[in-house]
Amino acid sequence: MTSVFPTKSSDAAVAPRREREGGYFRDLDWILIIAALGASIMGSALVWSASRADLAVEGDPQSYLKRHLINLGVALVLGVIATRVNYRWLRAYTPILYAASMALLLVPFVPGLGVTIAGARAWIDVPLGLTIQPSEFAKIAVILMMAALLSERRDIEDEPGARDVILSLLVAAIPTGIILIQNDTGTVLILGAVVIAVIAIAGVPTKWLVGLIGGAVLGILAAVQLGLLQQYQVERLTSFINPDQDVGASAYNANQARIAIGGGGLEGYGLFQGPQTQGNFVPVNESDFIFTVVGEELGFIGSAILIVLLGTVLFRAVMTAWKADDMYGRLVASGIAAWFSFQMFENIGMTLGIMPITGIPLPFVSAGGTSLMATWIAVGLLQTVRMHSLAAFRAQV
Amino acid sequence: MSPRGDFTPGSSRKRGTALLLATAIVASIFATRLVDLQAVRGEALADAALTQRLRTLEIPAYRGSILDRSGQALAVTVEARDITADQTLIDDPAALAVELAPILEVPQDVLADRLSGDKRFMYVAKGVTPETWDEISALQLPGIFSQETARRIYPAGDLASHIVGFVNANGVGGAGIESSFDELLTGTAGQQTYERGPGGRVIPTQNQSSVAAVPGSDVQLTIDRDIQFVAQEAIDAVVRKSGASSATAVVMDVQTGEILAMATGPDFDPNRFTQALPEERRNRAITDIFEPGSTGKVITAAAVINEGAVDALTPIKVPGTLKRAGKRFNDYWKHGTLRLTMTGAFAKSSNIGMILAAEKMPKIELARYMERFGINQKTDLGLPGESAGLMLSRENWSGTTFPTMAFGQGYSATTVQMTNVFATIANGGVRVDPSIIEATIDPDGTVHEQPAAERDRVVSEDTARQVMAMMEAVVGEGGTAPQARIPGYRVAGKTGTAQFVDPDCRCYAGDVTASFIGVAPADAPRLAVGVFVHQPKRGRGGGELAAPVFKEITTHALQALQIPPSGKRAPRLSLTTG
Repeated sequence: MTSVFPTKSSDAAVAPRREREGGYFRDLDWILIIAALGASIMGSALVWSASRADLAVEGDPQSYLKRHLINLGVALVLGVIATRVNYRWLRAYTPILYAASMALLLVPFVPGLGVTIAGARAWIDVPLGLTIQPSEFAKIAVILMMAALLSERRDIEDEPGARDVILSLLVAAIPTGIILIQNDTGTVLILGAVVIAVIAIAGVPTKWLVGLIGGAVLGILAAVQLGLLQQYQVERLTSFINPDQDVGASAYNANQARIAIGGGGLEGYGLFQGPQTQGNFVPVNESDFIFTVVGEELGFIGSAILIVLLGTVLFRAVMTAWKADDMYGRLVASGIAAWFSFQMFENIGMTLGIMPITGIPLPFVSAGGTSLMATWIAVGLLQTVRMHSLAAFRAQV
Repeated sequence: MSPRGDFTPGSSRKRGTALLLATAIVASIFATRLVDLQAVRGEALADAALTQRLRTLEIPAYRGSILDRSGQALAVTVEARDITADQTLIDDPAALAVELAPILEVPQDVLADRLSGDKRFMYVAKGVTPETWDEISALQLPGIFSQETARRIYPAGDLASHIVGFVNANGVGGAGIESSFDELLTGTAGQQTYERGPGGRVIPTQNQSSVAAVPGSDVQLTIDRDIQFVAQEAIDAVVRKSGASSATAVVMDVQTGEILAMATGPDFDPNRFTQALPEERRNRAITDIFEPGSTGKVITAAAVINEGAVDALTPIKVPGTLKRAGKRFNDYWKHGTLRLTMTGAFAKSSNIGMILAAEKMPKIELARYMERFGINQKTDLGLPGESAGLMLSRENWSGTTFPTMAFGQGYSATTVQMTNVFATIANGGVRVDPSIIEATIDPDGTVHEQPAAERDRVVSEDTARQVMAMMEAVVGEGGTAPQARIPGYRVAGKTGTAQFVDPDCRCYAGDVTASFIGVAPADAPRLAVGVFVHQPKRGRGGGELAAPVFKEITTHALQALQIPPSGKRAPRLSLTTG
């Protein structure tokens, strides 16, 4: 297979100036930041448009937007902090972060603290009427922990050993199990995609990889067959196959999403003008179905712009992985790229009716404080990996 | 092919490339799908969306009025308000109830009940006047709102209530003209189209349109409010006085067939129709059938005279009893053999005399004349629930059927049908279909007169004149109803005291129907007035019970219609021979 990545020789010949002279602001991946910020700003407008219709009847129609902007502000601060994290420190303290995250993941089970939303007991009640979804942070913890394990001896060896692979799978299995008990199927699927991507990039033997994917598929089939999944979860997964004939809630969602997006046409109705959006026909359109808002109100042009922004984020994440100086950095960036891409594909895909419906938000765009914070921390981590790689590169040159 | 950095990625790079390619493929699938949804199928989906949002609201039309012949309102629709409450906005329901109770005239505890709770919408009072709402809204009470609505009111109360009917809670006519002319009165509802969300909230968009409602037409009756009032008063009085189960009266214009009054007792107030019993709401003048008894002798007499078998002075020897088909027929008074004229047999209401007279023509003729007089046929007044009456067809007759029918028993008819028989005689033998609808009036004022009633000659003018003269003898000396005389006017008529068929046992249980049907003025007939009193407890005879009611109603009607008094004296036909 011919690589689409640039070769080292061309890199060395025309290395841009910024790569030769370091500096915090100079080393930041501004393309990534601008694309991610662009998506978040568009997202805020969409969240505003989707929520003001719900709130117009009573109360302050801007209250939801205000909360979203506060969340975004916190997320950006957390993202900036993540860029300043010391690379070695991060790697060293990963087990502690992981353990803390697992502990946090158990908090929703504590009576009085746990909140159940849409059938999933995956939220923690915190003051000021906010909620925290610890599984969002668990994604980061799993990526960091797996990266640490799988890169431990990779500086000299070609393939990770069986022990590392099994350990890293265990690292993923613990939160996956907890999240399954919490009924949060969407996050489980994301973790599965992250695990497969990280293990693949880590360079495990192909037969392991095939076995892992096969095992995951068998696991899903077994879960459906043995009735481990709730009926509504199975319905969500199957209703997309024939949404016109199903009359259940999932099919309703899928149909409403298609109707709203289809109505948008090329230019859309304009922000705040989409009748299906403002009429509240599409459920949870400030979160899981936010793509219907851009589809209806901003049309094909707006949707394409949003997809380009998100695609740019993905591309920069992949590039960060590619240019990583060591296996740890590469696996962290790959894990984040896999997480973002799976979540974006699944979210937009279900809205377009080509993926089954699961309750996961669109990164950077959907309302949802913890999701926003986790994605922006991930952006910060990508910057850390990048800046470490640039520093290593400069040291080498 | 080694990347920067000091480690060799091996298969890592290939897999990275594969993942990136997979990403590109998925992204292009998305792009295709987006183009498919928004460009290719965009219009169809947008239409589906609009269909889903569009809602059509019906704007009810203003219901037409029901008027009497002079345009006086018997039923009108007025603007009204439903008072509603949002219970969540009310802090102190008890205090609010104290404030509202005297205005709404609803007990405090009932009001407090409707005001407390956490419902966002609750009716507090329905159909109050706009003035009442003005009074309430001036208090600026939180949580109290109103909706525009319409209310059907009957300004004359129980006047003509059996004819007018009522409108039920759904706004649909439940009886009388309100029911049979419901569609015409209702008009055409308008439509308002708007877009709304799934929660019912209106989405403000351009896709709003409305079609104005077309108000209903008015229905004008032939009823004269004043005569109707007198008739109802007289009927109520006779029901009270005699303890009758019911009584009916019909006043008919003999030349046009128009019904000027149609009274039934007991009656009801359509403004409070729910408080009335079903039997009180029945328009008995058209729904209830009964054996007419001696008033039916008019048909027999007209038939035999018209057939040329007898005339008013033909002698009839009337024995004390008469045996037919094994049954012994008597008159209501004991007598030996009488030598009477046809007029005498009629005026004294001799059953035997009428049987003997009727036997002078083929039996089937009696049934034919009855049908031509309108017996056993619906009058097609336009009122719901009308009965055609009952009459045995010729092949079902027994040996006693013909003699029984000859004196007015053995078949059943309504008050309107029987009054129409007398009107036919009074109209020179020409039967005019009775009618109660004068016209319908479009909302724009266009008047649609009812088509002229059908007219059929039943008996010759000469026959009619002879029967009229015989009927005048009934009111005269030796007749059965001197109580029906009206000073200044010549009156013709016939009493009846028929055995009443008890509806429970379908047998003669001893009760009677006392009746008098009369025509005035007899020399230039204008009015036929029929009065029937069913199952009286005090008094029995038609002359005693029904004739005074006839007199009261007819006296007033003659004056109200400014009909000049009779100029000539009545002819005196001899009742006896020899």
